Order: sequence, then C-alpha cells, then structure tokens
Amino acid sequence: MLGIAEYFWRLIPANPILLRVVQMNGKRRRDLFIRCIYLGLLIGVVVFAIATGNYDVGNLADLAKTSAGLFQYLSYFQLGLVALLAPVFTAGAITQERDSQTYDILLATPLTNGQIVLGSLLSRLFFVIALLISGIPVFSITQIFGGVAISSIVQAFGIAAATAFITGAIAMAIAVFKVGSRRTIFSFYLFVVAYVVGLYFLDQIPYFKISILNPNTNTYELSKTSWFTGLQPFLALRTIFHDKAYIPPALGDLPKNLQSWPIGSLLSNPAGFYTGFMFFLSFVLISPSMVFLRRLAQSNTSLRTWIFQKLRIGRGDRTRKPRTVWQNPIAWREAKTKGSASRATLLRYAFIGLGLAGAVVLVWMFATLETPKYPHFIDRSSLSVDGNLLTVYDSTGGAPVTLKLLPDTQYMLNGKQVKDINSLSGHLMVQISPQSVQKDEAGNEIGWLSINASDAPRRLGMSQTRTALLALTMLEFAVILLIVTNAAASTVTREKEDGTLDLLLTTPITSRYYIWGKLRGLVSFALPLVAVPVASVAIFIAYDIYRSTILEWHNGDFKWIVFPEAVIVLPAMLIIVVAFAAILGMQMSLRSRKTVVAVMSSVGIVAGLCAGLGWCGTQFLGMHDSGYVGLSAASFSPFSLLMMMIDPWQYAPNAFSDPDTSGPRLVIFIFTVIAVAAYTVVVWSMYRSMVKNFDMTIRRQSR
Amino acid sequence: MAVVIKTVNLTKRYGTLVALSNLNLEIEEGDCFGFIGPNGAGKSTTIKILATLLQPTWGEARVCDYVVGYQSRQIRPLIGYVPDYFGAYEDMVVQEYLEFFAAAYGINGLARNKIVNDVLELTDMAYKRDAPVDGLSRGMKQRLSVGRVLLHDPKVLLLDEPAGNLDPRARIEMRELLKELQRRDKTILISSHILPELADLCNKVGVIEQGELLYSGPVSEIVKRAKTGTLLHVAVAENQEAAAALLSQDPSVLNIAGNNAHLEISLKEGITDYSFIPHMLIEAGYKLTMLKEEEVNLETAFMRLTKGMVQ
Repeated sequence: MLGIAEYFWRLIPANPILLRVVQMNGKRRRDLFIRCIYLGLLIGVVVFAIATGNYDVGNLADLAKTSAGLFQYLSYFQLGLVALLAPVFTAGAITQERDSQTYDILLATPLTNGQIVLGSLLSRLFFVIALLISGIPVFSITQIFGGVAISSIVQAFGIAAATAFITGAIAMAIAVFKVGSRRTIFSFYLFVVAYVVGLYFLDQIPYFKISILNPNTNTYELSKTSWFTGLQPFLALRTIFHDKAYIPPALGDLPKNLQSWPIGSLLSNPAGFYTGFMFFLSFVLISPSMVFLRRLAQSNTSLRTWIFQKLRIGRGDRTRKPRTVWQNPIAWREAKTKGSASRATLLRYAFIGLGLAGAVVLVWMFATLETPKYPHFIDRSSLSVDGNLLTVYDSTGGAPVTLKLLPDTQYMLNGKQVKDINSLSGHLMVQISPQSVQKDEAGNEIGWLSINASDAPRRLGMSQTRTALLALTMLEFAVILLIVTNAAASTVTREKEDGTLDLLLTTPITSRYYIWGKLRGLVSFALPLVAVPVASVAIFIAYDIYRSTILEWHNGDFKWIVFPEAVIVLPAMLIIVVAFAAILGMQMSLRSRKTVVAVMSSVGIVAGLCAGLGWCGTQFLGMHDSGYVGLSAASFSPFSLLMMMIDPWQYAPNAFSDPDTSGPRLVIFIFTVIAVAAYTVVVWSMYRSMVKNFDMTIRRQSR
Repeated sequence: MAVVIKTVNLTKRYGTLVALSNLNLEIEEGDCFGFIGPNGAGKSTTIKILATLLQPTWGEARVCDYVVGYQSRQIRPLIGYVPDYFGAYEDMVVQEYLEFFAAAYGINGLARNKIVNDVLELTDMAYKRDAPVDGLSRGMKQRLSVGRVLLHDPKVLLLDEPAGNLDPRARIEMRELLKELQRRDKTILISSHILPELADLCNKVGVIEQGELLYSGPVSEIVKRAKTGTLLHVAVAENQEAAAALLSQDPSVLNIAGNNAHLEISLKEGITDYSFIPHMLIEAGYKLTMLKEEEVNLETAFMRLTKGMVQ
C-alpha cells in the first residue's frame, strides 16, 4: 500500500522534472512579467465591463446582470488565452526527442516512464496552469454582485484546463510515437485552429442540430446547440452562460434513442461532457506513452516508417533529376523547395482541389432544386403554352394534368400576383385547388381562375448557401494565412539553424536582393492558394450572372449570393493581407534565433490582428447607428470584407436595410481600395525597414 | 609577393569575453596558411570576420586590400568560405545545390552549366549530381562544400576545419583536393586540429591561443624554434641503470630520465653530435638495441608554444 502511495507521490508531487520547472519558473522575471500582464488584462476587462455597463447601482438585479456579463467576458478571454498559449507551450514537446540532448540522458536515469511523460507534460503546461490559477481572484469579483453561480465558474475553469491538457497530451503523444518533425509543430497549430474554427461553423449548419418535439405546438423544432457543441471549447463554454439563443436541450426532451449515455450527456450537458471527455482523451493519449516510452525510444524507426514498411510502401531510390534554378536563387528556393517538395506539392494541390470542389458542390446544391414534395410542377417546356392549355407534370409519376387558362386567370408566384404565365418559370410547384376551377352550369370545366405557384426549394437554401460559402472562404483564407505566416516565419530562422544563411551572406547577394527574393518566392508559393477562395467566389458570381439573366428574369427582387465587385476587391485585399502576413513573418524570422519562436509569435500576431480587426469590423457592422462608418471600418479586415461581400443582410443588416444596395456597396468598394493602399504602405515600409536593418540584425545575432 | 590578407590589431569582443585581441596577421598571395589553436582560441572568429560575417570590435581586417565592413561587397566575390559545418538545404540535389550558389554569384545561362560540370568533375562528384545533399556522407558533404566555393573561382579560400570529423580515407581525399587547389595558385587560410596534415599542406602557420597570436611564419621556423635541445631515446639489452650511470658522467649530458623500456637523454644546449654515446656503451660491453633522436614536428611545436614553452 505504501509502495503505491510512494509511486503516486513520485509521479507528480515529487517528480524531479516538474519540480525543476516549478522552482525555476517561479523565479523567472520574464514569467512574473507575463503573469502581471495577464492579470492586468483581466482587471482591464473587469474595469471596462463595470465602467461601460448600463446598470443602476441600487438595483441588485442590474448588478447581477452586469456581473453575469463580466463573467462571460472573463471566461472567453481566459479560454482564448489558453487556446492560444497551450499550443505554443506544448508544441515544443514534438521535437524535444530530436532537439534536446537531455532527453536521452533522462531515459538513462532510474526515472519511470510515467515520471518522464507526466513530468514533461505538466512542466510544459505549468505556465498555463499557473496563469489560470492566478486569475481565480479576479473571477471571484463576480461573486460580489451575484448573478454567477460558483458551479459556472468551476465549469469555465474546467473547460480551460481540459483544453490545455488535451493540447499537451496530443503534443506528447506525437513526440513519443515519433510521428512528428519540426514541420509538425506548425501542422499541430494549424490543426488546433482548424478544429476550433471548423467545428464552430459546422455548429451553425441546421443539419447537425437535433429535431426536438415541442409539446406545446406538437411540431418538431431544431435544437439551439448541435452535435459539435460538446466537442468545441468555445461552444461548450457558451452553454454555461444560460444564453437563451444557445441553450442545450434537456435530457428528457431528446428523442429516446439519443438519451442514453454518452450521447445524452454530449447533447444535454455539453460543458460537462467536454471537460470530462477531454480529460479522458488526454489520459488515453498519454497512457501508451507511459507504458512504451523507453521501448519506443529504443526503436530506430518512427511509427510512420514502421507503417510504411509493413505496408511495403518504400521510399525507393531517392535520386531525381535536378530542376532548373532561376536567376534569383532565393526566390527559386522559396517557391520550389519549401519543405519536402513532393509533400508540399501534394498538400497544395489537395488544398486547391478540395477548395474548388467545395465551391462547385455548393453551387450545385444551390442550383439544383429538390424534387417537389407537392406533386405538381411546371416544367420549362410547359411555358410554350399550347393555346390556352398549361401542362402540369406529376413528380410522383402520375400522368400530367392539363389546365385550361382563361383570359382573366390570375397568376400567383410565391404569394404575389404576377402579370402572365411567362412569369412562372423553372421547376415551380403548383397548387391545384378545386376552388380555382371555373365550371359551367353542367359542371364541365371551363378554365382555371388562378394558378398558385411557388418556387421549389433548392437543395441548399439561399441563406444556408451564404453561410456555407462564407465559412468555406473564411476557413480557406485562415489556412492560407497560417501557411504563409509559417513559411515566412521559418524562412530566415531555418537558414540560421542549418547554417546556410552564413553561406549566402558570404556571396555577393545584397540584403535587398535577399529579402526581395524571399518575398517574391513566398508570393509565388501563396498565389495559387489565394486563388482558391477567389475562384470559389468567382464560380458563384458566374452562376449568379447566369441566374439573374436567364433563370430569374421574372424576379424583380433578385439578390446576389456574392456581389460581383468581389472579383476585384477580394483578390486585392487577400493578396495584400497575405503579403502583410509574409512580411510580418519574415520580420519575426529575422529577429528570432529559433524557428519555433518565430513561427509561434508570428502566427499569434497575425491571428490576433485578424481576429481583432474582424471582431471590430463585425461589432461596427452590428451597431444600429454605425451606418456607413461600420462598413468603412469593416473594409479593413479581410474576414469582415468577406462577410459584407457574401452575406451583408446577415452581418450588416442596418446598412443593407434598403432594397437599393448600390450606396453601401460603393462605400465598401472605396474603403477596400483605401484599406489595400494602407496595407501596401505598411508592407512597403516594413520591407524597407528590413532591408535597412538586415545586416545589423544578423550581425548582432552572430556568435 | 602581394599581401592578400592583412589584419591590424584585430579585436573582437562578445560582451566581456575577448575572442580576439590585437591580432596582426599577414598572408601573401599563393600562401597556404594553417591556422592552429585550441578550441575557443579565436580561429573561427577570425575566419568569420575575413568572410565578412562578423564586424570587428576594434582594428582592421583587409582582404585583397579591401577593408572588411566598409568594402565587404567587393570582398565577397573574391573569397570562398567553407564553415566548420555543412549548410544543407532540404530537398535539393547536388547539382541544384551548386546551381543555386552559382546563381547567387551571378553566374547564369550556359556558363553556369559548364562551371557546375567542371566543379563536379574536379571534386569527383559527377556521379552524385542527382543525389539529395542531405543524404550525402560527411566526406561527400565536405567535398561539395569545397566545390561550392570554387564555382566563382575566388582568389582566397577561407576553410574552417574542412577535415574535421572525417574518416581517414575522406581526410586523405580532402587533402589531395586542397593540394590541387594550391597548385591552382589559390591563397588558402585553413584552420585545423589535424596538425600533421597541415604540416604537409601548408607553407606557413599561425598559432593562436585565447585570442592572441603566438606565432605566425613558415612551418620550418616554428619547428626550429620549438627545438630547445637534443633529446635521445636509448635502450640497452640489460642493466639499464648502470648504463645510465655511465652516460651521466659525460659532461655533454644534461639529464637522464628512464623507464623500464628505454632511457631519455637530454644533451646540453648547443651539442648536436651524440656519436660518443654508442662508443661509450659499446666499449663498456653493453648491447645497444636502440638509439633515436626525438623529432620536433608541428604537433610538438604547437604543444610547446601553447604551453608558453616557446617564446
């Protein structure tokens, strides 16, 4: 019994790896400084929320409401920070096996596998956990005014801690099973971002919501939350705020087949499920590492190589024909040899292929109409009316029906009267009601008094199409930004690390030539990627032009899925923002000695800037009185620009309340041009500054 | 002969650490100059300054009369720098690697193809032109490094430990390659720890310790200076102690040290004729089995110099 207690005592509290980090980090001035900044920001959030809150000091209900709002801000801020910092602090574990000389030494000590794995994991998470703990007093402020249950605070901390643990556990598993390399660090970061963003958008799609029977109306309604709520930290967190727009269904309201554990828990208690599931998954991920650590370390082959060998997928002869080097070798290297060319090329083509395929599928789903559930519909050929007869087909396979038209027959389309039969087109559902038939005294049919038609539903409705296209393009652009930032941030540091920069600096290549070559190469590398969201949008514009001129010529209130000017403003904005990310990444790469530091800091800055600008833009757009000011401010972020180009009625309802959209569109166009010019000036200034300071910065780092 | 490399009071500090202190060095055209010193002595720092990678804290360094720092742009086409590591690019094959650096030196078009082929032939790597550089052996990588700096036909080669960590065969191949370059009238500054090979390759050496230049001049001169007296190794078949006692009576003998195997006899300064030793031993009836004068080579000279035994 004592032996077991001692084992657990040595596993965590007396773990020498963890103790070293706890003792060292506690004393570091840098860590203290970061903790102070974190707490300062938290306090700033508190002061801001109290100062701007609209409440009566004497009204306890008002104070409780303010307190609840404050709790929301603090929780999102805390979770955002954990989501940002946990990958930064844990990603280093992926390459520790290769980079750190101390790893082999640790394996040669009497420390158990568990001590090494948990020690490494907890020591990497120590800083994040210390930040979380230091924030507890700030959270306790919300208890002064009431309105926030302690259980909610515990849940918010639980979600943040579970997020940190699962991130660390994935990084450790990749490291121990040798499935990662230095490039994996970036892929890991990309995965975290894609997971959070991707699940957020999937959560918006009605397909993934649950149909729940409303006992009052006896009709089925879609749930507010979805299958993904309990798997995404921010969505799970939202459910603890008792927001009426995002309340998970009660366990008893779920269909019987979904009430059993764990599905019932996932759907009815997403916050609790997320915390429990992520801790469980962390345990599952690190358990094999704790058992097989030394055995895996002794193995010469990585898991991937082992699988390849078993599947008999050999690498074969590695020689290949040389490619032609451009006149600017720096640009050539950036464009052609980034990482493993075959892998990079494959991934690039996969990205392009998937992006374009996604757009085509969306257009197809929007363009095709579901087979009308109501049996009768008018085919396009029906419009060539034979005299006064209109043929109505039967989608259920029955014989077509011929309706006799009268000179004074009324034609209704989607509840509105239209002037003639030609105004009805395409696959329209037709309501055949006996009341519409005029009969003579003998009861014979003379003709139809009214034809009520309505549009057959599209496979993907207009608003769903907009949401899906917006999600697709935003996700694509986010991925492009991350790829370019990573490539740029590693471009100089990698040369510093492998020593090739010194070789280049002894050649006649000047700093201007070097940096310009890098930038040119990065842009050549990124342009095909940027073309993907632009092409996705262009495909829709082309279809919209076809739809407006041919299919919906009868329809006066035609609405674009994407405004056609997007083909001009989007490429300009996306390319210049990519150039901005590239130059920022290069700047960080020039200043940092290590690739990991450069990549993480650049990605953090770019993600922070884009999120900040996008958030400001959407806040401006959402304000009732912002008008064109909101549009102009939102034009400065590529993400809010995408929102305005694709779904302005959703994101800028005030500015687009008028049917005539030319005014706000002109404002967006002008301010996007101004924004592009402003970004160009920033990029050019940064480029000039880099050229000017290149020699000095590099020499300062030389040892 | 024109002076190709010249440093005047060259000093480099990293914070409080003095890496180089008032280094004065002159290397003439066509010289093969061996730069030797213990680890951390300042060899790589000197070479990096000459390669325009570092700025001196104080003093001046000139290459072909151009001042490092002020006229680095003019210096770069004239030098070829091989660091003590191999700067390998991922996903490049040997020919691409050479073409990449040829383009960096502004060599393009047909001239580039010809030069790259010539260099591959010279370094005996033509059969490896399609092989990825990161998969080459260490010896091959070093050959490729040297090949890289020959692309633009520089006047001066700055080689920092080019034979470090190579196996004996690769070292010999590297030495032959460097001799070939010497025959092509390149001025070579080479740092190395393998002193016998430097003695074979270089006509001049510089010895540096703790940032200070202890010696700079011909190899023969340093050997001469290191030779402080004549040291003989003598062995007799039996009764070695009695033989030692006999020889110690001779006024030319300064000191006798011995072990079971043989005696080490130091003669007094200025005495180089040791023919009396075999005479004495044979006349006294001893069977002489060994008589050998200790050679002073670059290694010995280096050891004595860096211990402060030679001034």
